[in-house]
Amino acid sequence: MKILILGVGNPVLSDDGVGIHVARILREKGLPGVDVEELPASGLELLDVVLGYDKVVIVDAIKTDGGVPGEYYILDEKDFEKSVHGASPHGINIATALALGRKIVPDRMPKEVVFIAVEAEDLVNVSEKLTEKVLAAIPGVLERVAKEVA
Amino acid sequence: MAGPIINDTPIKTKEKKITIDPITRLEGHGKIEIFLNDQGNVENAYLQVPELRGFERFCIGRHVMELPVLTNRLCGVCPAAHHIASTKALDAVFDAKPTATALKLRELFYMGQYTHSHIAHFYALAAPDFVLGPSAPANKRNVLGVVDAVGVPIGAEVIKHRSYGQKVQEIIGGRATHPVFGLPGGVSKQISEEERAQIEEMAKSCVEFGKFTIKLFHDVVLANKDYMNLVLNQDAYYLNSYYMGMVDKDNKTNFYDGDIRVVDQTGKEVLKFKPSQYLDVIAEHVEPWTYMKMPFLKKVGWKGFVTGPDSGIYRVGPLGRINVCSGYTTPLAQKEYEFLAKTVTDLGVKGPVNHTLAYHWARVIELQYAAERMLQLASDKSITSDDVRGPFGQPKEGVGICEAPRGTLIHHYASDKDGLCTKINMIVATTNNYAAINTSVIQAAKALIKNGEVSPGLLNKVEMAFRCYDPCNSCGTHALNGGPALEITVKRRDGSVLTAQKNF
Repeated sequence: MKILILGVGNPVLSDDGVGIHVARILREKGLPGVDVEELPASGLELLDVVLGYDKVVIVDAIKTDGGVPGEYYILDEKDFEKSVHGASPHGINIATALALGRKIVPDRMPKEVVFIAVEAEDLVNVSEKLTEKVLAAIPGVLERVAKEVA
Repeated sequence: MAGPIINDTPIKTKEKKITIDPITRLEGHGKIEIFLNDQGNVENAYLQVPELRGFERFCIGRHVMELPVLTNRLCGVCPAAHHIASTKALDAVFDAKPTATALKLRELFYMGQYTHSHIAHFYALAAPDFVLGPSAPANKRNVLGVVDAVGVPIGAEVIKHRSYGQKVQEIIGGRATHPVFGLPGGVSKQISEEERAQIEEMAKSCVEFGKFTIKLFHDVVLANKDYMNLVLNQDAYYLNSYYMGMVDKDNKTNFYDGDIRVVDQTGKEVLKFKPSQYLDVIAEHVEPWTYMKMPFLKKVGWKGFVTGPDSGIYRVGPLGRINVCSGYTTPLAQKEYEFLAKTVTDLGVKGPVNHTLAYHWARVIELQYAAERMLQLASDKSITSDDVRGPFGQPKEGVGICEAPRGTLIHHYASDKDGLCTKINMIVATTNNYAAINTSVIQAAKALIKNGEVSPGLLNKVEMAFRCYDPCNSCGTHALNGGPALEITVKRRDGSVLTAQKNF
């Protein structure tokens, strides 16, 4: 089974970069039989990287109403149905990109996509650093990623 | 397929404030607030964009050589444009003259960016309005609905050619999304003959896809009377602004290099300047309700959200470029440019095309040009030369400008003797357009919303007035949950929410 761990986000925008931070740690550690990629954009670019994999684990930041920074959620594509065609700085968002892939190149799309979405505190300040709460969440996220790809 | 849904039934609202938040398909979260008067007509409208803090502080004290990589990190949408403008700024900072091969490689790379960006905008962001209709249900009015309407094979061609644009950038720039190849005086690596041939093949295919896209635009938009009525609606989608864009020595469009030309409402050249002179030309206005500054032509002055000869508001991007240029250096783009010129002349237009929705037409012509130029550059076998780096001097201060897909992009850096950044100023394309976009939003809202009657379709038509600019406001933020597609919040005078209407 071909597995990809994909860290999504902007590494210079505080907590938005949490997925990239996680991807870099995992790449350094090295997970046998698993590819690790960073994706600093999340629109149609997503399709360029996920095609051909059986399973993709996406780590990204999320901002929910009343969410507690540093908590993380395990989500799948269905959880984003409401945000299909929703707003995104990249033209279309992740959910729309995946839905488009399933429509156009269904055979090459991963059978399973799991999102590990980390609640962000700061998505406004330009910084390479995560906030304390999100930084503290990383060990738990790493553990969860390991479980997903085991 | 059924025809596009142009109109829907407006519903009367008694409220004074209508909020569209977040704006759908805008590249960057933002919201529009529309304020109604006692008669239910539009008093004013504001496009608010998200804030990004601390960018300057982040860059000051860094080595200027890092800036092409750091500045492009600010944006997940057009990082390649930032990389190119930044690299050109470094040429100026280090007084470096890039080699001929390096210039070709940078431009070839950049044609990949245009191909990717213009395809994404036209098919994913603009086409839903034209293929499905501005008043089609929001859950259909998106790229998935477009694929349902035009068929999977066409959808596959769209995805394929957008990926070609990315691939070209990856081959030359080292990475598809955030390139790392620009250096003062050149680029970091040459390309092989095999890579050149691969790009040439992709470019040939992109030229064909450009032709297809122009034909689709003719069939879907130009041949549809209802759309042409929208496009030609001067109450809603028409600004007689100044225009700005980069041109070569013959005033032909050039995305990578040249002088910046400004024309007035009659098409007459009023300014032509070098990148280093931009501060003599552009001043910036500040409004209390938004963090983004609004540039205007210094010699004309700021007169508020109005256009005409006395207002310094100018427009950049595809419509700006097509209005400042005398055509294109490639045959197919030139042919379509002439067709556009003839079409608008037949419609009685003299001088620049002021019709805001004509941005879309200009964009598909530029897609054709980018593909043709990509093929020209990739067919030149000398582009594989190893002569990719020129000498450079001591760091000082410099300005780099290129045409981002969304418009004129300015990077300005100053360095100390050790190469550490002491000053940075950037005016990005959407900032250049911000005053015009806001003016367009006010104009469309006033023309389309009357007597307090609103509907999802009407509000989407307001959105169309700025979506055509392909605005990119975020240069960064993206939360995983895109949020609701379109939410209209009706508020009482005290600001509390009375009702909320979602169109999904």
